[in-house]
Amino acid sequence: MLPFALTRPKCPLAMTKPLIFAVPKGRILDEALPVMASAGIVPAAEFHDKKNRALSFATEDSDMRIIRVRAFDVATFVAHGAAQVGIVGSDVVEEFNYPDLYAPVDLDIGHCRLSVAEPVDAANGQGSHTSHLRVATKYPNLTRRYFEGQGIQAECVKLNGAMELAPTLGLAGRIVDLVSTGRTLKENGLVETAEILRISARLIVNRAALKTDDRVGALVDAFRAACRTGDDA
Amino acid sequence: MTDPTRDLLPEGLEDWLPSEAAAVTRINRAVTDVMDSHGYDRVRPPLIEFEKSMAGRMDGVQPRRMFRFVDPSSLRTLALRSDITVQVGRIAATSLAGAPRPLRLCYGGQVLTIKGDGLDPTRERLQLGAELIGSDSVAAASEIVTIAIEALASAGARNISVDFTLPDLVDTLAKGPFPLDADQIETVRRELDAKDAGALKAGGGGAYLPLLYATGPFADAIEQLAAIDAGGVLAKRIEGLRQIAERISGKARITLDPTERHGFEYQSWFGFTLYAEGVRGALGRGGTYRILGLDEPATGFSLYPDALVDNDRCDTDARDILFLPLGHDVDVAARLRVIGWRTVAALSEGDDAKVLGCTHVLNGKEPMRL
Repeated sequence: MLPFALTRPKCPLAMTKPLIFAVPKGRILDEALPVMASAGIVPAAEFHDKKNRALSFATEDSDMRIIRVRAFDVATFVAHGAAQVGIVGSDVVEEFNYPDLYAPVDLDIGHCRLSVAEPVDAANGQGSHTSHLRVATKYPNLTRRYFEGQGIQAECVKLNGAMELAPTLGLAGRIVDLVSTGRTLKENGLVETAEILRISARLIVNRAALKTDDRVGALVDAFRAACRTGDDA
Repeated sequence: MTDPTRDLLPEGLEDWLPSEAAAVTRINRAVTDVMDSHGYDRVRPPLIEFEKSMAGRMDGVQPRRMFRFVDPSSLRTLALRSDITVQVGRIAATSLAGAPRPLRLCYGGQVLTIKGDGLDPTRERLQLGAELIGSDSVAAASEIVTIAIEALASAGARNISVDFTLPDLVDTLAKGPFPLDADQIETVRRELDAKDAGALKAGGGGAYLPLLYATGPFADAIEQLAAIDAGGVLAKRIEGLRQIAERISGKARITLDPTERHGFEYQSWFGFTLYAEGVRGALGRGGTYRILGLDEPATGFSLYPDALVDNDRCDTDARDILFLPLGHDVDVAARLRVIGWRTVAALSEGDDAKVLGCTHVLNGKEPMRL
């Protein structure tokens, strides 16, 4: 209904495409499902079928699709606009620091922290008069930023798991990793020496999608309402 | 032995082949015509300038994002332009300082950044825009937003959406009802921009939380913003937004996001971002600002319409092309070109009209469909 009518023929464009909701595999998902349910998003039955190898699922009562991907990929899908909405830990949001991501709702689930840990004996010994460190981590950006803030240049060794092995095997002097109970650290002879970030799960949305698609805004409101209990915001 | 990497283009740069180049030419012309029809005179600043003059005209311009090098003749640092707006600001403050105000100027050209923006690796883009120098009033802002929408529509954008913002909101509130320490301002701005309620509270910006909810379709969001407006420091801005929204109602969908600051480095009280259906990111933005040195208010917009090319390409079916065989009547061919025919002349017997993509062939004085 624009007054500046176009004379050229229009291309066929799928009008209302279904929204894509990205959820992370693992840790956060179990806690996220009840929150999603109270915001009105219930995945179809095959989502819970462990043998089902599908990656994309329908939802009940809407044409929204749910995709289940790795936590880091949730942020990537949403930042690129391939998915419009997602749930992911604030660790991932901060690590990528994508300008095209909004994290409008703190879901108050999936709590843990991102911490520095080092071998028990090393932690007691040397002081902090160093200008260079080698750190094994899944979060090179956050790690570099944190140590830069302390005037230390951190050389990050990017690992995708089993960070705790790095100090004993001499790969890196310390690690930066997620900690919830601290048991894994203890069992591997490590001790938490500093907390970098407190983490909880966030609803994330694509910037352009929020501004151009009313359904995204409605979804944000639904999640805000679902999280209102126990939140003073 | 061929080296496949020899002709590799650097990251974020690409060739535009005929169909894309034709589309972008059409877009360029459509936007330029709209700006021209509203009385904006075109200026053409150079590609390269002294870094100092590029960086000094507006607050918040980052020379770090520009390609820079030393000028062999003056030994000063040069920069490749990353935003033509600052060059127009320089022209307005120097050569055209004496021209009557309000001064309406427009421009178009390629701009280059040293790195892509976030996820988008593109380093070279077409920038088209208009600047209204001498005013940052509601009337000026309304004119600029209206022309920006009209220009985008003429370039083929569909279902245009405009997002309003108040770029100096945090500064205004921090000076007044919601005081912040100097070191908190940056955190609060950043977390408001990311709409991260959790981190905002943790960063000491709890008072700013309600701003996150004054976001969305304009009619509702502006009511919410008005309800938050502490001590009336925003009353004038809110009234301005309402007037601008009224002016463009029906021409675009309007949303409000008072805390958006993505891409608003130097804007003052008013800013806007343009989106369109089927285009992933923003197509352009604009707002009010001050030209430093002259300390003159101005309002303007910039469009980056490259993203429309994909939409446009499927709009244009192959055009008719008339094949001119060897020994054709050159006067007939010239006349046909005047009435709009596009011709391809044979250079040798071996030229095949079909292979060359022609749709018609000149038979005596008449084009014949192949």
